[in-house]
Amino acid sequence: MIKLTGITKSFGRQQVLQGIDLQVEKGEVVVILGPSGSGKTTLLRCINYLERPNEGRIEIGDFEVDCGRASKKDIYALRGKTAMVFQHYNLFKHKTVLENVMEGLVIVQKMPKETARRRSVEVLEKVGLGEKLDAYPSMLSGGQQQRVGIARALALNPEVILFDEPTSALDPELVGEVLAVIRRIAKEGITMIVVTHEMGFARDVANHVVFMDGGVIVEEGAPRDIFNKPREERTKQFFKRIMPEPAYSI
Amino acid sequence: MGEKFDIGYVFTFFPKLAGTLQTTLIIVGGALLTSLIVGFLVALPRLYKVPVLQRLSQLYASFFRGTPILIQLFLFYYGLPEILKLVNIDVSRAPVLVFVILTYGLHTGAYVSETIRSAVASVDRGQVEAAYSVGMSGYQAFTRIVMPQALAIAVPVLSNVILALLKDTSLAFSLGVMEMTGKSQTLAALTNHFVESYISLALIYLVISMVLERLLIILERRLLRHESRAADPFPVFRRERFRRIRQWFTRERSVRLREEAQ
Amino acid sequence: MKLDPSFIWEALVKLLPVIPTSLLITAVSVLCGFVIGTVAAFIRIYKVPVLHPIASAYVTFIRGTPMLTHLLIIYFGLPLMIDALSSQLGLGFRSASIPMIDFAFIAFSLTAGGYMSEVVRSGLLTVNRGQIEAAYAVGMTTPQAIRRIVFPQAMAASIPNLSNAVIGMLHASTLAFTVSVVELFAKAQIVASTNWKFFEAYLAAAIIFWGLTVLIERVAVFLEKRVNSYNRGGVA
Repeated sequence: MIKLTGITKSFGRQQVLQGIDLQVEKGEVVVILGPSGSGKTTLLRCINYLERPNEGRIEIGDFEVDCGRASKKDIYALRGKTAMVFQHYNLFKHKTVLENVMEGLVIVQKMPKETARRRSVEVLEKVGLGEKLDAYPSMLSGGQQQRVGIARALALNPEVILFDEPTSALDPELVGEVLAVIRRIAKEGITMIVVTHEMGFARDVANHVVFMDGGVIVEEGAPRDIFNKPREERTKQFFKRIMPEPAYSI
Repeated sequence: MGEKFDIGYVFTFFPKLAGTLQTTLIIVGGALLTSLIVGFLVALPRLYKVPVLQRLSQLYASFFRGTPILIQLFLFYYGLPEILKLVNIDVSRAPVLVFVILTYGLHTGAYVSETIRSAVASVDRGQVEAAYSVGMSGYQAFTRIVMPQALAIAVPVLSNVILALLKDTSLAFSLGVMEMTGKSQTLAALTNHFVESYISLALIYLVISMVLERLLIILERRLLRHESRAADPFPVFRRERFRRIRQWFTRERSVRLREEAQ
Repeated sequence: MKLDPSFIWEALVKLLPVIPTSLLITAVSVLCGFVIGTVAAFIRIYKVPVLHPIASAYVTFIRGTPMLTHLLIIYFGLPLMIDALSSQLGLGFRSASIPMIDFAFIAFSLTAGGYMSEVVRSGLLTVNRGQIEAAYAVGMTTPQAIRRIVFPQAMAASIPNLSNAVIGMLHASTLAFTVSVVELFAKAQIVASTNWKFFEAYLAAAIIFWGLTVLIERVAVFLEKRVNSYNRGGVA
């Protein structure tokens, strides 16, 4: 279980997160929606301390940290329990596909090389890249790179995987393969928090949808409720802009 | 001035000049080693934004890139003993070669530090974030992810710096060091065949530059094997696409007169 | 021998009158070098038959050999050629009447040309092919497209490289001392040895070069901002 309490974050004078409370159950897929600048990516990055929150508490499983005075050790511990999939993949450019996945296992988790290798190959096969083990990221398509990014996160066996707009840098025809992989992982019961603009995906896969605007959570609930009968005016406006047609199903 | 041109002398001088190649290479090697150490140390305060030291390292780079190497040579040769005398160290008996290597080392070090600094800065921020996201510490992220990539970016620029250093060593003669250029002047004056001597000298430099450049390209390729050979997306001159890539003299490089470390 | 800070100032004052000489050498070599380099760059980009290998060999030679050798070869070689030519044609012209500084001009221009060719070439290659196609689309001829569209953009992109080349040639102008041209370095040597104050004199020369270099860098940054203003949009 993941629990965020009163997370605030400001850049200079601009307060991007104004006290966020969020609870995510084990095995849940949470999708965060919202207009750009609503703070959803910042929230995600606060969870593994890529951004340092100003205040608040983060609980993951039995680990708990007070953001105001997190030590280096706390931060590493937090990052050890989370993994992230980036918008721009951020694969290690100088390492092969296999090395990208193994890196965290060997260097951070101190797994023996052979075990790490077996684990990595297994995960890469799961995302359909068992053939590309020795390729460098620059030789792959965006969709393939992002699947490696997912494998890298998955291999770490984290409590939660954070997805930061995983398909928004992809060419439209490549979005499908990445979403398919995320769907498959979701079915395996891995906890995920996903920031995305893919409404179809959100409806389909999410157990829980969070709508953010202006640094606060405006409303949250089951996807069916949020999509079909949003309560808040801001949510309605957002859906109207993003989906001119009444919410359609796939 | 001088005798009638005789191409034969170019070839007679060749082995004689090559005999002093060792001195040239000692200067290049010694200076290179010095410059890598100095350059790295000087780059650190700027990478980590250490208050006062950062300014000092900027000043160092600015001075050594902002003044001619010839003046630096004389400045150090005459100035260093005097400065060291103030703290009671006597270096007036140290061989000239030491001053020469030190000066070239400090000169090249300025370029090395700029190169390292900008190479590290040019590594995508996302790489560090990805390293953090898999749980690496700052040190691990730097040594395992940032540094190898920065090195790959820096190597082509450093290659140019090294080639520039090789050519710059031709100025060491001005302090009386008997390297290739000094030797060529002696030979020229002895035989009165000036042009032949200098052509011979130029040819030797040309050969060494070419060999050195080849070696550096091999090194570059090994370090850059992760970069797929992406095609130039929109070359303005279509014929350019057919040019033999990597043929050594058609290689694109930044100005070698004064390497820009960006 | 004691450090004499006041002599640094004295040396500075003595060096001031020869600054124009150094700047003149720099300016001539950069300008001539730019012309030579541009010609060589176009020859190589368009692979002009016969001339293309010559241009490549020229650039290779210049960049693969120390600048000092260019100067020495020109200084000793050119008079031999000129005198041989003039005696064959029966002209009364002697190479001895050529001022020393002209050899520096010629040699440094050739050096600068080799380096400039790469600057110009890489500048031209940064311009997007779409630009020249757009120029054709509005009916321009190739020379028009290059002169009016490609070249200005290439130069704007090359400002950092050009400023480096200028600084390189400024520093390289010190080599002219080997052919007895009294520029900043040679003058510093004179000031140093007549007063037996070497360190101070060279320090003064270094300060002048440093100042000039910083000045050139500033100008380059300013120019870059000016010409790139169209890249950033904004008013006016």
